Amino acid sequence: MGGRGEIKAIAPVGGRSLRTAVLALAALPALVLLAFALLLALTGGRRPGALAGLLLLALCAVLLASIPLILHLLHRLSAMERQGAAFYHELTRLAKVASLGEVSSSIAHDLNNPLAIMNEEAGWVMDLLQGAGGDERAAREEIRHSVEQIQIQIRRSREITQRILNWARDTDEPAAAVDLNLLLNKTLYLLESDLQRVQVRVVKRLASVPPVAAGSVAELRQVFLNLMKNALDAMGETGGTLTIATSSSPGEVRASIGDTGSGIPPEALPRLFEPFFTTKEEGKGTGLGLAISSWIVGKLGGRIEVESTPGQGAVFTVVLPARTSEAMEPCNGGSHAGHPTAAG
Amino acid sequence: MRVIRLLLVDDEERFVETLGKRLTARGLYVEGTHSGEAALALLQARPFDVVLLDVRMPGMDGIQALREIKKVQPLVQVILLSGNASINTAVEGMRLGAADYLLKPAEIEEVMAKVEEAFEKKRLEEG
Repeated sequence: MGGRGEIKAIAPVGGRSLRTAVLALAALPALVLLAFALLLALTGGRRPGALAGLLLLALCAVLLASIPLILHLLHRLSAMERQGAAFYHELTRLAKVASLGEVSSSIAHDLNNPLAIMNEEAGWVMDLLQGAGGDERAAREEIRHSVEQIQIQIRRSREITQRILNWARDTDEPAAAVDLNLLLNKTLYLLESDLQRVQVRVVKRLASVPPVAAGSVAELRQVFLNLMKNALDAMGETGGTLTIATSSSPGEVRASIGDTGSGIPPEALPRLFEPFFTTKEEGKGTGLGLAISSWIVGKLGGRIEVESTPGQGAVFTVVLPARTSEAMEPCNGGSHAGHPTAAG
Repeated sequence: MRVIRLLLVDDEERFVETLGKRLTARGLYVEGTHSGEAALALLQARPFDVVLLDVRMPGMDGIQALREIKKVQPLVQVILLSGNASINTAVEGMRLGAADYLLKPAEIEEVMAKVEEAFEKKRLEEG
């Protein structure tokens, strides 16, 4: 694909272009009729002629006859669109449940560490009380240290449980003002334990004035979580750099997730947003992440752009309509602002 | 019976410190370290009987470390430490030559029992 990456913008729902085609079809006979009438008018109706009359009549008939067909097609189309929307709606719900499962398993994992430490500290206090520590003053000091450590680990556990509470609390409020900088940071925070496990450096290039999109926090977080998880998967064991960037231009806000992973093979690009299409190994991906993401973004009036150079990584950019500056509601999720750390 | 030489490997420093103290109080010789790489270096420097190895660590994880340990010290007995969520990894570790695994948080009696059992196994294998 040469040095430059390939850019592909994706239309999220196919029904819309079909609808336009049907309408154009309907407009065609009307246009021909109009042209014919114009021609007649221009020739001043000198030779109205039987042929012209006949043609006019025929065209009228075709137009009339096609009206029920066109109406029927339009009706079928909106039914299809409704079914499509319902299908994606259900998929989004399922994907959310699935990612909740993933998030909770990662949190359960994280909780295990402080639990294991508290277990040892409490056990050590018990050992000391049963006389393991030698002289009494040293034992008292040891006990104090262990109890302090238990308190530290309790605070740590509380922070971990806060993460799942934040996740569950964000509601589906459809047209909230979403601060993209804040949302990206919070989403990154959810992935903190994954980031620590793999050798990934996080680079943030967030706009100094937070870009604000109109949308639902819960839905957009789903999108960013999908994109970030894909980015991490693409980099795999070898690690790399995860770049998170935001920017605004008049009327539009952009958030992009870039990785330095394997990139997208050119033959996969056209199918990237199809449901059940995945390049991940069996059992690793459902092929729903990008399909759902593009549906959510499309529903909000935006699009997802992909840029990838195979072997060098990929950048997914979510482009959304900017929220016109009204009263700005905070991106919900409580007072806990996550500060993800770069691991590596 | 000679003292069991145990190497404790976990990225949680405080866990290593306190569990180390408790096992020392129970008559073991314990050294602790916080990464798979450091564990390998220590194993090459001096002999150990049993390694208690966390499966989930940044950098070289427990499974990678287990593979390397078995290459340099085939007789040393490795017990994997795992949370519930990584139990599959622990089971995979058994296939790769781990002597046993322990679920964190574990009771000290269970840790002692498994360490002693692993030590016995090592003595039998050494002949």
